[in-house]
Amino acid sequence: MDLTLYGDDSKGLIKLDPRTKMLMVLSSGVLSFFSYNDVPLFVFCTVLCTLLALCGKPLTALKGYLAFAVALYLRFCISSRASAAPFLEIISQVLITVLLYCLPVVLSFILLTGTTRISQFISAFQAMHLPMKVIIPVAVFFRFIPTVQEEWTGIRKAMAFRGISVGLGSIFRHPMRTVEYVLVPMLFSSISVMEELASAALARGMDMDVKRSSYQSVRLGPADYIAGGIILAVTIYVMSSGW
Amino acid sequence: MIEFKNLSFHYGGEHGTGEGVDHIDLRIDDGEFVVLCGRSGCGKTTLTRLINGLAPQFFEGPLEGSVTVNGRNVSTKPLSSISTLVGSVFQNPKSQFFNIDTTSELVFGCENQGLERAEIAQRLEQTVNDMQLQNLLDRNIFELAGGEKQQIACGSVYASRPEVFVLDEPSSNLDKKAIWRLRKILERIKQSGKTVVISEHRLYYLMDLADRFIYMEDGYVRRDIPAAKMRALSDDELKSMGLRCTDLSRLEKSRENPDAQPGGRPAIEGLDISCNRGNTKILDVERLTLPENSVVALIGDNGCGKSTLAETLCGVIPGSGSVAFGGEYLTDKQRARRSFMVMQDVNRQLFSESVIEELTLNAAADRDRAMELLEELDLSGQAERHPASLSGGQKQRVAIASALCAGKEIIFCDEPTSGLDRGGMENFGRLLRSMRDRLRCTVIITHDPELVLECCTHVMHIENGRVMAFYPLDREGTERVLYYFLSPSDESSTKKRENLSAVGKILKYTGSYRKYTFAAIALMLLGAASSVIPYLSVYRLIDQLVQRQPLSGIAAAIAVVLLGELGYAVFYSLGLKYSHKAAYGTLENIRCSLQEKMELQALGDIQELGSGAVKKLFIDDVESIEALLAHMLPEGIANLVVPLIVLLVLAFADWQLALVTIITIMFGAAASTQMYSVGMDRMGSYFAASKRLNNSIIEYVNGMEVVRVFNRQGEVGQNFADTVKSYRDFALAWYRVCWPWMAAYGSIFANIAFYTIPFGAMLILLGQLSLSRYILCLCLCFAIGPQLMHLMSFLGLLPQVNFKIQALEKALDRTALRTGCEAFTGAGHDVEFRDVHFAYKGTEVLKGVSFTAKEGQLTALVGASGSGKSTLAKLLAHFYDVSGGSISIGGQDIRHMSPDALDGEVSYVSQELFLFNKSILENIRVGRKGATDEEVREAARKACCDEFILELEDGYDTSAGKAGNMLSGGQKQRIAFARAILKDAPIIVLDEATAFVDPENEARMNDAIKEIIKNKTVIVIAHKLRSVAGADQLVLLEGGKAAACGTHQELLAASAGYRKLWEASESSGSWSLKGKEAEK
Repeated sequence: MDLTLYGDDSKGLIKLDPRTKMLMVLSSGVLSFFSYNDVPLFVFCTVLCTLLALCGKPLTALKGYLAFAVALYLRFCISSRASAAPFLEIISQVLITVLLYCLPVVLSFILLTGTTRISQFISAFQAMHLPMKVIIPVAVFFRFIPTVQEEWTGIRKAMAFRGISVGLGSIFRHPMRTVEYVLVPMLFSSISVMEELASAALARGMDMDVKRSSYQSVRLGPADYIAGGIILAVTIYVMSSGW
Repeated sequence: MIEFKNLSFHYGGEHGTGEGVDHIDLRIDDGEFVVLCGRSGCGKTTLTRLINGLAPQFFEGPLEGSVTVNGRNVSTKPLSSISTLVGSVFQNPKSQFFNIDTTSELVFGCENQGLERAEIAQRLEQTVNDMQLQNLLDRNIFELAGGEKQQIACGSVYASRPEVFVLDEPSSNLDKKAIWRLRKILERIKQSGKTVVISEHRLYYLMDLADRFIYMEDGYVRRDIPAAKMRALSDDELKSMGLRCTDLSRLEKSRENPDAQPGGRPAIEGLDISCNRGNTKILDVERLTLPENSVVALIGDNGCGKSTLAETLCGVIPGSGSVAFGGEYLTDKQRARRSFMVMQDVNRQLFSESVIEELTLNAAADRDRAMELLEELDLSGQAERHPASLSGGQKQRVAIASALCAGKEIIFCDEPTSGLDRGGMENFGRLLRSMRDRLRCTVIITHDPELVLECCTHVMHIENGRVMAFYPLDREGTERVLYYFLSPSDESSTKKRENLSAVGKILKYTGSYRKYTFAAIALMLLGAASSVIPYLSVYRLIDQLVQRQPLSGIAAAIAVVLLGELGYAVFYSLGLKYSHKAAYGTLENIRCSLQEKMELQALGDIQELGSGAVKKLFIDDVESIEALLAHMLPEGIANLVVPLIVLLVLAFADWQLALVTIITIMFGAAASTQMYSVGMDRMGSYFAASKRLNNSIIEYVNGMEVVRVFNRQGEVGQNFADTVKSYRDFALAWYRVCWPWMAAYGSIFANIAFYTIPFGAMLILLGQLSLSRYILCLCLCFAIGPQLMHLMSFLGLLPQVNFKIQALEKALDRTALRTGCEAFTGAGHDVEFRDVHFAYKGTEVLKGVSFTAKEGQLTALVGASGSGKSTLAKLLAHFYDVSGGSISIGGQDIRHMSPDALDGEVSYVSQELFLFNKSILENIRVGRKGATDEEVREAARKACCDEFILELEDGYDTSAGKAGNMLSGGQKQRIAFARAILKDAPIIVLDEATAFVDPENEARMNDAIKEIIKNKTVIVIAHKLRSVAGADQLVLLEGGKAAACGTHQELLAASAGYRKLWEASESSGSWSLKGKEAEK
């Protein structure tokens, strides 16, 4: 799936606070670790996909939910049959279960990154009273992903001219050399971008003592409380029954 | 006020180089605009960093003396508090953003200052208005062009309202348009009374903004030059100071370039090159030839497809079409092996630990050869150094050396001189010139006019993905390329990228017919589902048989089978009905949207396309999508969903068998995707070949007459045969790569049951599967096979539709005619042509024509044929847009007027008259809608049409279609005059309006003309000079310019060109008019 980092919730019917979305990512992780029961998973995924659809990503939500439903159905099919080749059965069960438990994490991550802008992140972090020392690296990390993507396409082109391939074959034959060819230019250009970026951010007052304000409103609304409530309830239920 | 007091600073710390500035004493007053200039490494960037506090607080080092801004010491104050005082814009647009979307970036500074939301909103609005950033709001910064990023950077700083603006080489990555735009923004900042300090290599765009220039050398301020004095510096003085030119128009124009020959053997040939990004076609080059040993400058605005063209030519991004190096057609990979590109960010292409290793990496050459090359490129001292430790210029040379070492034939350079000072630029130019003989061809993508004049032999101008012009850089070419760089234009905003999938694109065009599409999909789904039901029913019967139970419900089962089949038939045909409705609706929408696009285009561009091509576009091309649309979407989706559901049912019956089936299907799908990926690579070439075939058939048929007359059957026939043969080869090549995969997936999908049978049997033997479930599985497998086959054939059509829609969209995306929405507000009706430039099909016809046609006077345009007389007239009628300069009526630019307003002012009478298939009366009424019959007749009388119209069968009511053939050229002409008289516009353009005149009509014709031109601004184009000799003003066009202006007598006296023209015209006149003279 293509992870677009250009967060955009302008098409959404509701706008969730980044904090709610972050809570969702966290609790999806908890869920994947502690849930041995399908019901909380089902409730969680339903809420998640509904939110995803409401926040302006109906197609992703539909795809995610279908994948979830199909996985559940297949698991039911497999477990309802008495006899099968044991090895095959275990493999399939494991694969499907992994898929089932990864889905909430992946979907909530898409919800978080696909509908949140960096400035919203920063304000949400500030609302959580995190120090700027924590906030800036996180924001820079998100800012850096598209840069690395750009660099990577550029380096691939440069490699084509030099007859360097990064196919599976060359990775197996000369693993170290291939890594070097990728990393060296990537690091050198990233370092210069990093330095310029840092100086630009500083010169524009990123670390000012004044409390940073935010143009885009980040506020907990009723939708956040409802969604957050359900999520918390499911998570607490899972954790208390799982122990 | 900024004040440096005996300031010295040197970069220290871990990575410090020890470079810096010494003993700076400088005072910059409030509201001053100061430019820091000097060679690379002279310390100008350091000075900017000292002002915004980055040095010594971010770039550490020892500092002596002090620098204060408004009395505050910026070297000791925390950076964050300086940021409200000093706003900074940096050189690299790529790395000064913190956000990914533009709006957040614009308010970033304000947010940091902790302003209230309302205040931020207000500042954002003001910034957007002041800097005209409306188009750039809410965009992804990563898809913006460099110039636009720089605008956002300026805007962001502007919004936080600092007292001082510090800019560090902001123009180095910008194209010409973006520089003009930047200049405007700077002007705005200056007007608002702020202090501006800008460090820059390119000086020309700052000349009338700057108050003074600070010239630096080796870390010292050497000279403080007031703007007026700076302008007066000669080129030699600038050169000795290492500064770039201050006035582009002073660049040598007269230079003869002996290498710039138009011909030569081709080094690179390209045919029908196209390239898509996402689902948009961004490159569409029909034919391109670059001569051997040339240095070609690739110019054009940012985002016009220069880099894409270069990358397609070297084969690193997939494009379609055929490209030959030195006459040999090569695949993408072969081209990548034989060419090289010096990228803008050269860091990306240095892979090794030392320079010498870099050269020998994957190159056939040995160490000695590499050392030789290093010697030549002045790098021998650096052989063992790490490439990353070199300077920018050295890195570039290492990249070039590695290309030469690997024996590359063609080198592309992507903006090699951005951010280089004069010396660096000249060195690079010299290097390219010295390499010219060794390389087949060098192509430079550049925005730098100085570099173009320094080393290039040819210029290729790209616009909107098309080759606009290709010309050698001789005297004329130099003028032309300079004009391109000098002409001010600041409209620049890249289009929002469309990220629609192929299906999304088609759905976009379905518009209001979308509901039919969905209905068709639903019906098709039902149909496909009911085609599966009979299999289930049969399964029930077999199940009973197997269980050795008595057969029951045979009748019901048969009924279900029949019902299923019936349902299939009914739903399917209903679905087809709706899908056709949707399909034809979509075609309607596509045609309408094409028509809307066409309305916006310059009339000239459409004429250039030719009516044949437009007809093909609207009828054949659109029609060819129909079959795909009507069947592909609904049936494709139905055929996809039903097998999926069946597979789920199968999983319920027995998941192990389902697994086997899925694996089988996946093999099939893998084969088919493989087929599409290889097929898509060649799709463009295949369509290109079929387009060529089409064209050559048309040419063959159209040219039949000429061919027979001149007995050229052999030659033309050979040509035709070649095209047919190449089409055959392309088609065969396409099928050849496709057919093994086609066979593979065909055999898999058609026989899915074949793979399930043995597995099922095995499971039965193992006791894990009952016989009846086995049979169910088999039935289901039989059921989905045909649907999968269907699906595959539709999937194959999807890229085709997409390709065709893209081609349709591209065909009409030429720059739209620029019209405004103002009514006519001009004072009087003087028509002023000011420095009008116009290029037609790559050749520049008008090269700066200026003259004024006065109200109430008759102005005649004269000149040899092809001198651009008619073009000028058409420009006034706004069939085309001027490529430079302006045309105004009464002081109002015609581009600001609405089309209706312009139409009301100008009446254009050409030598050809188009008669609509309506009555003559209606045809004349075209001149002015709503004119009464009487007015029409009156106009006809004035134009002397009355008599011949009344002689027609039904007089004024004769259908023009019928009458059209009976009217003579002169009579048609007079109908055109009648239209003009009826229209009564204050400006009349007569374009060879008397071409068809025969002697007996001439007198009447002249009467008609006299009637039309009373008290008007009249522009006449005539071949017969005698007929216009009495004009108030004659304008002689020569070599694309207005060579002389004046009355007949004045011109005869003053202009040799006019005398020649007059004599020629007189002698031919006497030749044709002899009879008449004799009569007298």
